[in-house]
Amino acid sequence: MNLTEKARGALGRNLPLEDALPTEMPVYVNSVAYLFGVSTLASLGMLIVTGGVLALMGIGWHHISAIGHFVDALHFWSAQVFFASLGGHMIAKFFKAAWRDGRWKTWIVGLLTFAVAVFAGLTGYLTTTSFDSQWISVQSKDAMNAVGVGAFFNTMNLGQVVTLHVGLLPAVVVLLVGLHLFLVRRDGPVLPIGERKAR
Amino acid sequence: MSKRSEKYLSGVPMKPYDLLREGLIMLGVIVVIVVILASVKSSPDYPTVRAQDVANLQPVAYLQTSATILAGNSSIQHYGPPYTEDRENAQHLFRLAPANWFGVQIPINPIQDFILKPLARASTLDPNVTGALDAYQSASTDQQQAWLSAYVAALDKATVTNGEVQIPPGDYGPVPTMMDAMLALGKAGLLEGALESNARLPFEYDFTRSLLFFQDDVDANVAEQLDLSSDQWGVIHETGNYPGAWWLAPYALLYQVPPMNNSTNADIQAIFIITLIFLFLIFLPHIPIFNRIPRWLGVYKIIWRDWYSRKKGDSGREA
Repeated sequence: MNLTEKARGALGRNLPLEDALPTEMPVYVNSVAYLFGVSTLASLGMLIVTGGVLALMGIGWHHISAIGHFVDALHFWSAQVFFASLGGHMIAKFFKAAWRDGRWKTWIVGLLTFAVAVFAGLTGYLTTTSFDSQWISVQSKDAMNAVGVGAFFNTMNLGQVVTLHVGLLPAVVVLLVGLHLFLVRRDGPVLPIGERKAR
Repeated sequence: MSKRSEKYLSGVPMKPYDLLREGLIMLGVIVVIVVILASVKSSPDYPTVRAQDVANLQPVAYLQTSATILAGNSSIQHYGPPYTEDRENAQHLFRLAPANWFGVQIPINPIQDFILKPLARASTLDPNVTGALDAYQSASTDQQQAWLSAYVAALDKATVTNGEVQIPPGDYGPVPTMMDAMLALGKAGLLEGALESNARLPFEYDFTRSLLFFQDDVDANVAEQLDLSSDQWGVIHETGNYPGAWWLAPYALLYQVPPMNNSTNADIQAIFIITLIFLFLIFLPHIPIFNRIPRWLGVYKIIWRDWYSRKKGDSGREA
């Protein structure tokens, strides 16, 4: 068995370049409702770039440097735009019942991405080393402890929080977004409600 | 186009499209929006509440916190896992207490870890503390509690002159000496260091004890003033005039309604409900009736209004 050959075949069948990088789109893809997905991706890109700079310069940088504080502000507002875009994207997909015609997997991966992003947001607040993180860490510990997560994740352990926020959680978000995009491009945009797919 | 999408979109008119161009334009728009918001609004950076600040600005509150912990009345004293063995106090739902499944992973003895051990460290700087500690620890538990009760009551009548706390005369045993030493640690900015001493110094990354020390009262009062407490929808608020974690509004709402708004198990109840809602959304595509809600709402007619107009026009021309 040649694994490389099998992988190439699967990729060719599921996501040829014409689908991965399309140059044409069904005419019904014509609404602002379709823009939330790409704005989510754009703000995620901003989050990664600004977060990368903050991580590189150290988590206390924004307290002592005007430039650092500005980059922190960029990261903060990128997060706000990200969640606004993601919320708009999810609501638009709900109104379109976009899970039709076998797209429920795409719907599930999107929801999982939102869940991981919420957790990434929490660890972001805990990483700011401000009164927000001071208060949120002691408040959120009760929820973590109540469900047993506190035994493994201590909201007051800055080392653990930073590792999660800077490393693990963004990686999981990016992986899930990658899987989501794969499914989106593989299956194409769902038909408008009332249209029957070809048999 | 793959066979899959070619078959699915069979008969649907296509239009030219540039994926990368759309992505780059949107990225440009988002960059502009974010830069403007960051420039105009900046970001929250409210200073932390340090033990030194509390010792200097609210010395009576500092002493009340320290004495309350020493008397065994802090919220961590009998918290349950992962801090203490008091398994009966772990939050539970349907007789299940997940915190108990994993036991004590972060052992904390507030009396020892928050007061007596830091004082033992302070005693190397102040010999009087050694004697006070010996006297306190050799006394009976009833005697210790009597001293502490009298001392805490006296703090209600305390006066502060030039940062010095004066309490009415009384039988407090060695407690005032011990508490004064705690206050001195705080004023010197040494309390957090005395609390977090570990085997790997000078490396420190875990601030559990420092963060827990003032959580019950001082931090809670500051949070209340900043609209951050639980009954103020604190879950979705943050310091300053900023939007906060508004995406957690459904979760925050659960803490405002019965039974969560008056329950010692509020967290596990809220998480259970929000998990059910999440699972409902996950399985929504396969839940009969509910998966047809978008059709009844009809918002899709607005989203695809061009398509439906086009179809109407086509069928009109055919007729």
